[in-house]
Amino acid sequence: MRNYFKPGRLLLLICTFPFLLSGCWDRIEINDMAIIVATGIDLTDEGEVELSVQIVNPQGLGSSGSGGGQLGGSGSVGTMVSLEKATGKTIYDARSKLQEKVPRSLFLGHNRVILIGERLAKQGIKQHVDFFARHPFPRIKAYVFVTKDKPIELLQVNPDLERSTAEAARELADQKFGLDVTLKDLLQMLADDTRGAALPYLLVDKEIPGKVGLKVNGSAIFSDGKLIGELDDERNRGLFWLINKVDQASVTIEPEAAAGYISFSIINAKTKMKPTINNGKWKMTIDIQADDDIVENNTYLDVMSPAILKKLEGQLEETIRHQIYDTLEVIQKDFKTDVLGFDEAFHSHYPKEWATVKDNWTDTFSEVDVEVNTKISISRPGRSTTPQGVPKDKVIE
Amino acid sequence: MKIRRPKPLVSKVKLKETLNPNQQEKENNEVHADNTVNANSSNKRKENGDIVSSDLSKNEEKIRSIYKNCSDVIYRTFYIGNKTKALLIYIEGLSNEQEIEESVLSPLMNERNMGTEIQSLMTKTVSAPNIKEVSTYIDCVNELSVGKTVIFVSQNSSAFSVSLTKWEKRAIEQPESESVVRGPREGFIEDITVNTSLLRRRIRSPKLKMVRYLVGKYSETSVVIAYVDGLASEDLIEEVKRRVKRIDIDGILDSGTVEEFIEDHPYSPFPQTLATERPDVVTANLLEGRVAILVEGSPFSLIAPITFYSLLQASEDYYGRFLIGTALRWLRYIFLVISLLLPSLYVAVLTFHQEMIPTSLVISIIGSREQVPFPAIVEVLIMEITFEALREAGLRLPKQVGSAVSIVGALVIGDAAVSAGIVSPPMVIVVAITGVASFTIPRYSAAIALRMLRFPIVILAGILGLLGVMLGIILIIVHLASLRSFGVPYLSPMAPMQANEMKDVLIRAPLWKLNKRPHFTGDYNEYRQAPNQKPNPSKGGDG
Repeated sequence: MRNYFKPGRLLLLICTFPFLLSGCWDRIEINDMAIIVATGIDLTDEGEVELSVQIVNPQGLGSSGSGGGQLGGSGSVGTMVSLEKATGKTIYDARSKLQEKVPRSLFLGHNRVILIGERLAKQGIKQHVDFFARHPFPRIKAYVFVTKDKPIELLQVNPDLERSTAEAARELADQKFGLDVTLKDLLQMLADDTRGAALPYLLVDKEIPGKVGLKVNGSAIFSDGKLIGELDDERNRGLFWLINKVDQASVTIEPEAAAGYISFSIINAKTKMKPTINNGKWKMTIDIQADDDIVENNTYLDVMSPAILKKLEGQLEETIRHQIYDTLEVIQKDFKTDVLGFDEAFHSHYPKEWATVKDNWTDTFSEVDVEVNTKISISRPGRSTTPQGVPKDKVIE
Repeated sequence: MKIRRPKPLVSKVKLKETLNPNQQEKENNEVHADNTVNANSSNKRKENGDIVSSDLSKNEEKIRSIYKNCSDVIYRTFYIGNKTKALLIYIEGLSNEQEIEESVLSPLMNERNMGTEIQSLMTKTVSAPNIKEVSTYIDCVNELSVGKTVIFVSQNSSAFSVSLTKWEKRAIEQPESESVVRGPREGFIEDITVNTSLLRRRIRSPKLKMVRYLVGKYSETSVVIAYVDGLASEDLIEEVKRRVKRIDIDGILDSGTVEEFIEDHPYSPFPQTLATERPDVVTANLLEGRVAILVEGSPFSLIAPITFYSLLQASEDYYGRFLIGTALRWLRYIFLVISLLLPSLYVAVLTFHQEMIPTSLVISIIGSREQVPFPAIVEVLIMEITFEALREAGLRLPKQVGSAVSIVGALVIGDAAVSAGIVSPPMVIVVAITGVASFTIPRYSAAIALRMLRFPIVILAGILGLLGVMLGIILIIVHLASLRSFGVPYLSPMAPMQANEMKDVLIRAPLWKLNKRPHFTGDYNEYRQAPNQKPNPSKGGDG
């Protein structure tokens, strides 16, 4: 018989025990956690950080067992999440104070949305994002928004279709009608000295009386971590074209040839930047290519006619170009902040020249000559070929 | 352990004029001539090793003293042709009494022509196919114990053994533990001659060898080692023989007993021989150069050597279309991992890595776990142990009660436990999927090994989270990699890597591509079929 408890084996066995001793230290049952799904940070009048969080409320999930449904029969969506608020010198300080009020351990691992109040944004966000970058729990893929109202007011909104503000905001960002900036993107933008940052605005939508919802609208422009201005919705579109973020967009034009409007849905948009420096003149050529579908035609124009399509394409290109120049004007002249990534383009193409202007890039940026070339093709006129409800003889071909 | 060499016992006296060699007779010839007997029963043999006496009463006395207090031994004295006294002995229930009467007793008693010698008289008169002369008491006892009839004739210093065995045996049925949708439905039974005949019917070539050993001090069970000469490596055959011969126990009740004595790694939870009820599986393995061990009294024969992957191959993989076979194999691989890891992943993620679960899922899990008083690991252990208990109960109970147990169990596990707030609904799903997953593994012995290994991993997961799960996986893989089955690495052909054998592991390649045998025994008799057999209209048919 072999002896299975030889001294060597025994020693090896004993050596494995310390592994087990280290165990369990960070074990936490899921029932003992308060899962934060959205965080809002703002400044109080005293200059302290105000942290408001949306916590999943398990009581509001409907009892477990046979019911099981998360929407809990009674439609009590409001109780799905609960709101807590605390102030402190830093975000973590505020969090610690918050923990005094919450019986379960606060968990940031599922924090998908960070709302930054305009007040704090104006003062500068650089020092505050450090917490989100340093602490191991917050998600680096959380979406970041700027809010005009205090974040807590947005967190109080009960969105109709989603379970909580957090989810609604996340889904809105996923739709890509507004900017979708994650914490990682923001950290990268802030880390770059010459780069500004653009964050989407999240607003309370009050269009239907007696009901509040959320919407993304416009962008907040940051320079050196401080909020310096806002791009409205129209110029926001221009920004999208410039930074190659057009994913789902619509363009509506009023054709010259006839009365009424035509709406296009954009598919396959692509933006290319080409920097050149000629005789000390910095120039950026932006080539935009896009395919459009006609989705609505209110005019008498026959969109099957190649001649008309050609004209429409030209007008569409003009409209988009105009939109882009308008946006560029604001960004270059008013904000003087490079949120477009020109710095990177010049840096990689002209490293020597870049070194000379690096320290006062803002000045050079506002002087960069930008040329926008658009190439739009209307690929599909839509399901119906002729204008609807129009007598045949009135159709313009 | 000292290995005792067996010694040949039976002197090969055989009457030349055996009549009408039927199937069974052929069988017996094929069985290796050196009918060896385990040496540990030699003590008994020695004292009975005397030569048969010519004194009939002395013979009777001797046999009676050997079979003292054995009420099932029948002695019948009679006179050959009314003159020569003879004694016929057989064991009740092992012999065909009607045949004894018809082909031995009545011809001998009615014999008129007494002039010839007793030997030729026997061969001429007795119309049984197999009759042989035995000269020692040991041989007599050996013959009797396997159901043969022994006749002592007065004034004759040898006895005659007539093979007229017949005992009750189960009919050949569909193997219950390995049923198939497509494929042969015959299964082994407890009778070893039937089992060897099932193999012989599948491999008619005389290259199929069957070596018989008697194992067990008291049971003297036949253990047949079957292999195909020229396919199985000589070393392997020798090793299997050596391991079987060194078994020294009282009795063998099932092939499981043999398995435990011939394994390479007795402490491993993983089976190192493949137990199968299906003759077609044994045949396929014999043709791949493996060795089968058949045990009297057990419908399960053992196949060695095996690899881990052979435990995941069902015979049906080879009978259906190869694409489907490949898909099913992958399904099994996936569910193998699930059956081993799902509960531990659930525990690890739920107690240590909550950020890994999708947000909406974590929210629903929180909601459903709200009333559960136990930590996740306790919950998992409760449910998994209950499930194992139910499975075990359902297995052992009579069928009628078994169904009642499973109904109650389903209610307890599925519904009542959840509504009582003892466990959460996601946990029930985890247990259910794990249970189903473990049943996708075709070999019961492998499935149960993995099912049991699940528990230590769950505990590791509860202590160290995903690190613990990884630790468990590493330990299992290290263990598997160190296992060998009769010298063949358990994880081969994956580790050590043999790329060209992957076609029967990762996929089930079409049969016309499996030209080479798996070569764990060297490049010995490499090709099993002609190349380029892919069916194709230009290769025949309508032409």
